[in-house]
Amino acid sequence: MNAIAAPASARNRAVGGAWAFVRRHVLTVYSILVFTYLMLPIGVVIAFSFNNPTGRFNYVWDGFTLDNWKNWDGVPGLRSAMVLSIEIAVVASVLATVLGTLIALALVRYGFRGRGATNLLIFLPLSTPEIVLGASLLTLFLNLNFVFGFTTILIAHVMFCISFAVVTVKARLIGFDRHLEEAAMDLGANEWATFRKVTLPLIAPAILASLLLCFAISIDDFVVTYFNAGPRITFPLFVWGAARIGAPPQVNVIGSVIFLFAVSAMVTNVLVQMRREKARATA
Amino acid sequence: MTDVLTRQELLRRAAAGGALFTVPGFLAACGGSSSKSASSGTSHTLAKTLRFSNWTLYIDVNKKGHPSLVQFQKKTGVHVQYTEDINDNATYFGKIQGPLSRGQSIDRDIIVMTDNSRYPSLLIKKGWVEKLDKSAIPNIKNLQPTLQHPSWDPNRDYSLPWQSGLTGIAYNDKLTDPILTVPDLLENPKLKGKITLLEGVGDTMPLIMAANGDDPTKVTDASWDRGIKRVKKAVDSGQIRQFTGNDYSGLLAKGDLKACFAWSGDVVQLEADNKHLHWNLPTDGGGIWTDNMLIPNGGNVYTASVYMNFAYDPKIAAEIEDYVNYICPVVGAKDVLLKQDPSIAKNTLIFPTAKMLDNAHNFDAAALNNEKYITAWQNLISG
Amino acid sequence: MGVLHRHRSLTPYLLLAPGLLYLGLFFVVPLGFLAYQSLESGSFDVGYAFTWAWGNYWDAIRGYRGHFVRSLEYAGIATALALLVSYPLAYWIAFRGGRWKNLLLLFIVAPFFVTYLIRTLAWETILADQGPVVRVLRDVGVLGPNGRLLATSVAVVAGITYNFLPFMALPLYVSLEQIDQRLVEAAQDLYASKWRAFLRVTLPLSLPGVVAGTLLTFIPAAGDFINAQLLGSPRQHMIGNVIQSKFLELTDYPSAASMSFVLMAAILLFVAVYARAVGTEKLTG
Repeated sequence: MNAIAAPASARNRAVGGAWAFVRRHVLTVYSILVFTYLMLPIGVVIAFSFNNPTGRFNYVWDGFTLDNWKNWDGVPGLRSAMVLSIEIAVVASVLATVLGTLIALALVRYGFRGRGATNLLIFLPLSTPEIVLGASLLTLFLNLNFVFGFTTILIAHVMFCISFAVVTVKARLIGFDRHLEEAAMDLGANEWATFRKVTLPLIAPAILASLLLCFAISIDDFVVTYFNAGPRITFPLFVWGAARIGAPPQVNVIGSVIFLFAVSAMVTNVLVQMRREKARATA
Repeated sequence: MTDVLTRQELLRRAAAGGALFTVPGFLAACGGSSSKSASSGTSHTLAKTLRFSNWTLYIDVNKKGHPSLVQFQKKTGVHVQYTEDINDNATYFGKIQGPLSRGQSIDRDIIVMTDNSRYPSLLIKKGWVEKLDKSAIPNIKNLQPTLQHPSWDPNRDYSLPWQSGLTGIAYNDKLTDPILTVPDLLENPKLKGKITLLEGVGDTMPLIMAANGDDPTKVTDASWDRGIKRVKKAVDSGQIRQFTGNDYSGLLAKGDLKACFAWSGDVVQLEADNKHLHWNLPTDGGGIWTDNMLIPNGGNVYTASVYMNFAYDPKIAAEIEDYVNYICPVVGAKDVLLKQDPSIAKNTLIFPTAKMLDNAHNFDAAALNNEKYITAWQNLISG
Repeated sequence: MGVLHRHRSLTPYLLLAPGLLYLGLFFVVPLGFLAYQSLESGSFDVGYAFTWAWGNYWDAIRGYRGHFVRSLEYAGIATALALLVSYPLAYWIAFRGGRWKNLLLLFIVAPFFVTYLIRTLAWETILADQGPVVRVLRDVGVLGPNGRLLATSVAVVAGITYNFLPFMALPLYVSLEQIDQRLVEAAQDLYASKWRAFLRVTLPLSLPGVVAGTLLTFIPAAGDFINAQLLGSPRQHMIGNVIQSKFLELTDYPSAASMSFVLMAAILLFVAVYARAVGTEKLTG
């Protein structure tokens, strides 16, 4: 380069450096903003869990108190409702993910008669309005003389979660590189071993995503659950009922719990990493 | 009869430890009895369990449970299986109409539904509720006089009030001058987009019709047309922001609304946080509604009636009222509370004056079930 | 890439059997009952009878066409917004998330633990007329001096977008995370531009996730009713609200049933057109 261009390119490099810095971090900043947006309602919920309402409604800030947290179990039925919701969500998400993964494997990897019909069958539950879905399922249970309770809620939840599981796992299987599996089989593994050691780990993120999605849908469901719960009360059922008279702040406390669980998992992760790095540095 | 006893046995175990919802309990109830409702009409033996479905947070409660229900058990030996699974009349009816229309029991002895909705009268019309055993309810004499003869159950043969409430106009004095009449609410330009009405036709229309000078307890095609036209005008002009259930309470508390139709019980709670909120019955007339205890088909009439008698003891009613803070239907509870908790006894939103009760009207039950009217109403509130 | 095996074996049927039988019993049978109900006529008082009442369908379309259109509109806009918002987020978690990927996924679904009702009521607080968001928008001029967000279509669409964000983000992540970083690096070397590498390599490889997320968001969103009920005025009510009221308040079960089928047909029509437009089975499976 000639002498006149040199200072210009130095300036360019500086600007280019700054621009690269921004570009490298804009995605991170954006993601933090989106997470803030996602957490905004939770922030409100957590904030109002420290509220000390004078009346029974928890809309206006009256004063800070830790009583709701100390007394978190003070509303009868609230804890058992949350426990029931979590139990159902865990079992339903596992069952739905298992059934859904099997269907997804069949759809993506095999040609068979009825692919179109199967796809249709998967999308139909998603498009059915909850009110008629819940009521029709109720009719089925009545005709079959089922007893309403944990089992009927579970059956209903698995039913509407399967479709979500199928679509989520399918998204992973579609881009899946079969050559890895073929290589494993060439090396002597049978189909089951290949599935266990090669396929499953590679689609694990999809399985996890499906579990999380189904868990979230199940723990949040109201309409279908309402019709098929019999005398059992899940957390959403409790909250919708309590909101009429004024949901007690303990609802906010319990609702905050999972967020705190996620935060503490993150913090623990960070601390463990820091300690490991320190150990490695001093080793 | 054996069907009913078997179910009650299972339910007693369920009350003890959730056994019904294990596989044995499930199978036991599954293959065999189709649980056809067999009403134990005239027998005078108490069942071991009373299955009571009610609205959420609608009975006295402390950390250990429900004191009044514990007292009932001590007095009669009957365990109360209390479920708070009613949070909306229409949704609850949608759930129970399945079994009831098949003649099956819904495993309840007492349910509670509001008479500003069509469901209590519909249940009676369809024959899905049992008559009370009045011989077991001497305390029925304590029922408030104004509640003794509703149009849909003139002799209180099938129902008994649990709590009552008044529908009126709430306003925020920081944001507006007092709003005391329905025309002011609907037509005052300063309130444009800052008011809501209630989404229940039996809540809103009585007030509208009273403001038109019509009688809400006897609705005619002409008076209905006048009423709904007035509401439609306010919807089209943008005066009415939304039709709400009780979610108006949040909007009112935060100042999104200057005024709205509101229930007395909610305002008792809101006022505690915000002294600027006021509530009145409209001068032309407000609404009164009642949550009623009913005995569905298959329920144990005698045990349910014994409980109702217990709840109508002024001392017990006072205990419940002290917590719930809606309007008590039992005469005598006020005197008990004057000694225990005078602030509640003197609150006219909990113990309204006779003058207030005179100015509050029920909605014509026939109109609540008139398909033409209610379809027109639903089309109005759903765009 | 996924290779379709034209097996004459039983394997696909064995894989399908458990799930499809389950859905067959617990979904198709109730759906059959619903179809039966949709062809009934009568009234709740005198009872309903099966009369091949195809008129119910015609009544549904004729009477509530506006609601159907509005529902598909709102769902469509919300899906597009969800895609725009979620894609960079899913990208960031997949490529920069590192060891925290799974925890970040947990954060995406965390709002669901605070029931639908409470989330939406919290949004009512945040978007309140006197609240910070509206005040800022008024100051900036986006809203008029008496403008509001609640009880408008903006609030309803925003509510739907928010509530269905995880349904878009998780499938997107699943597809993005699978992309081999080395492909991207190679593309960046070849194109000498990160942006073009993204457009030519990453984006196409993530399309299965885009399709999956779009479907999982649009389809249920079209039938939603809660956002319109709490955040909208009567003018924003969707077909879900109408079906609710037909079923619950009016106890008009044939109407509710036939309306539901019309909605399902409309949604599936859109899905079929969308699948055709997006392309081969490679993307939709």
